[in-house]
Amino acid sequence: MTVSRTGAMPALLGTNPGAPVLAMENLYKSFGRLEVLKGISLEVSEGAVVGLIGPSGSGKSTLLRCINRLEAPTAGTVRFRGVEVTNANLNQIRREIGMVFQRFNLFPHLTALENVTLAPRKVLGLPKEQAEREGLELLDQVRLRAKAGNYPDELSGGQQQRVAIARALALRPAVLLFDEPTSALDPELVGEVLEVMRDLARQGRTMLVATHEMGFCREVASRVLFLDEGIIREEGPPEQVLVAPQQARTREFLARILNR
Amino acid sequence: MVFSFLKAIRPIGGWRGGRHVPLLAVLAGFLLASGLAAQGQGTLERLRAKGELVIGTDATYPPFEYIENGQLKGFDIDLGNEIGKELGIKVRWQPMAWNGIFGALETGKIDMIMSGVTITEERKKKGNAFSRPYFLSGQTIARRKGDQRIRGLQDLKDKIVSVQEETTGQYALQKIGVPDDHILKFDKLQDGLLDVRNGKSDAAVADMPALKTILRKGFPELELVGDVFVHENVGLVVRPGEPDLLEAVNRGLDTIITDGRYARIYEKWMEEPATPALLSELTRVRNEGSSVEALRKAAPRSGSALRLDWGLMREALPQLLAGARMTLAVTFLALILGVPLGLLIALARLSGLPPLKLVATVYVEVVRGTPLLMQIYVIYFVLPSLHINLSSLVSAVTALSLNAAAYISEIFRAGIESIEAGQMEAARSLGLDYAGAMRWVILPQTLRRVLPPLTNEAVALLKDSSLISVIALSELTRKGTELSANSGRPTTIYFAVALLYLAMTLPLTYLTRRLEARWQPVSRARQRLRKAKPLLASTGGQP
Repeated sequence: MTVSRTGAMPALLGTNPGAPVLAMENLYKSFGRLEVLKGISLEVSEGAVVGLIGPSGSGKSTLLRCINRLEAPTAGTVRFRGVEVTNANLNQIRREIGMVFQRFNLFPHLTALENVTLAPRKVLGLPKEQAEREGLELLDQVRLRAKAGNYPDELSGGQQQRVAIARALALRPAVLLFDEPTSALDPELVGEVLEVMRDLARQGRTMLVATHEMGFCREVASRVLFLDEGIIREEGPPEQVLVAPQQARTREFLARILNR
Repeated sequence: MVFSFLKAIRPIGGWRGGRHVPLLAVLAGFLLASGLAAQGQGTLERLRAKGELVIGTDATYPPFEYIENGQLKGFDIDLGNEIGKELGIKVRWQPMAWNGIFGALETGKIDMIMSGVTITEERKKKGNAFSRPYFLSGQTIARRKGDQRIRGLQDLKDKIVSVQEETTGQYALQKIGVPDDHILKFDKLQDGLLDVRNGKSDAAVADMPALKTILRKGFPELELVGDVFVHENVGLVVRPGEPDLLEAVNRGLDTIITDGRYARIYEKWMEEPATPALLSELTRVRNEGSSVEALRKAAPRSGSALRLDWGLMREALPQLLAGARMTLAVTFLALILGVPLGLLIALARLSGLPPLKLVATVYVEVVRGTPLLMQIYVIYFVLPSLHINLSSLVSAVTALSLNAAAYISEIFRAGIESIEAGQMEAARSLGLDYAGAMRWVILPQTLRRVLPPLTNEAVALLKDSSLISVIALSELTRKGTELSANSGRPTTIYFAVALLYLAMTLPLTYLTRRLEARWQPVSRARQRLRKAKPLLASTGGQP
């Protein structure tokens, strides 16, 4: 199963195929008096894998959540293929943006397969049979076909996160957001999740990954952003940002992470 | 064993309605009264030693007994105090509901009843001892002013008639063949008269003096019609095992009647003179109470009130089952309406829309903050003044479902709020809209979590449904009080009632537990294993 799924969906009405998949312009986000994002501008082109690194509280999660509007930005715009994300077209655009959470957030009352097929059936209206056929293929892709009938509480953390990835892929999104997908896992379970993500990157998927896994970033990311106090402190190819950082703050952060 | 039984019938959230208390009191009375009721001889000595004579009375029956400005007063009260003087014991009056009064006597909570009780053979047979008559009474009819359809007893055969439950008015109607569902039995005569005024029933039947006084005090729209049609005598009620008390009371009454005190009290409350003819008639019927001699000869009742009369229970069962059916039907309908309504209210409260939220919040606070009894009253008795006339059954289901919805909405709200925020975020990030996320992700999980409190609410509702008897619906508790009201064995009846409630609530809780267990992951895995086994056997393969 190596068929690329990107582009299988009819393009969103009014989108511009030439535009970057995602473009953020001057994003600000405050929670009360706490300003978390202080002007973020960023473009993500087709097939890019963007690694978001930075200390806790630097705004990585908030940035991802502003992209699919789980948080409404205080100021600034997010464009998907040239179309501004607004409350009006939100449900349309969310189909194009898959999200994987730190705590998996699987639906505990549904089996692994039902977790994966819920959105195709209820959002796209696919018939059950077709949704299940495609769902099983996706579970195959994350190597969990055998667990299709299991409920989340019968799965290990790593297995749950892989089901969550399959679920995020089910609507064939144009871009995937990963919000620290391995931070809640026991160390020995991190590998299997990263392996699946590596596969996705190899297939040429567009991904934004907030993570503390520097090795993964170095190997897979096409670009790394160092977020610090709500701004992009440094960005560039991984071998530059991670190996020879220009900024003192980046160096301090990397030293702390690597000496953990 | 009895204590654990009491614990078992008590809902987790505690009693909510007030109606279960007499039932519990009676059950507890099983134990407490055992020693007390046994003593046949020496009742007077015991009471003198205790220093008070407790007389139970239903103070909603002017001019016999009623409460005005916080004061208990009336014909019975003045007369009863004089009897106390004759016995040399101070009287303590215990106001209580009519339908609990015979049970209170049986279990020793009170020493006698003085509440305008008519002496009947039926009541004597069922284990009550009556004093000599102290008042000559009779039944008469009240109708809306000028309602020419009703002129006498025979006109009531095809009408809807209100009575106070288990009074001689009710028996008179039954005797002339008025079908049972045409007789509306209320806790209080006043409620029955309200029902006539609202046009829901055509007439009311009750004791002439009571009817006359109550109409004058508060029902100018109604009038008495026809003559007194059943002549009856009113007496005090004591336990049959206490003939010496009965004898003393009779002697006291004789003295009070002959020395002129009776005539003074009569004139004060009946607002007419006690004529010589009346007094001689009262003397003529002197022996229509219970015979002290016969009671002395009768074998002393064997000890405690704990005895259950299985014959009576068998006899009462069909009627009690009819009551249980009504209880179940009303509760079921109220739940069918109350659960979706409660869910809607919860969703309204959680919605971000301020007006919707406000309406839902006010609704919940008002309904939860007022007694269910008042809500039933308002819907049945007050809405007619706005020209909304609902039948008893519709009123009952409406009141119970509106009330249950308020509690259920809070259960749902707490349930929905207990679902982790990540669930909604995951659902929304998959492109589901708010309604879809609720429908497919949040509510299915909520339902599993709220099942135990929801069951609790259903059980509470089942028992609270006994309150609908105030609007003359014969549900289980009402059937129980009807059957026990004039029997000397309320304990047997209430015991059967309690068992029937248990028989209805236990399957409900059992079903819930099964459902909860099915949703547990472990048993889900076991189920799958069971399904998979034959498959493995047939293919002979390894999983």
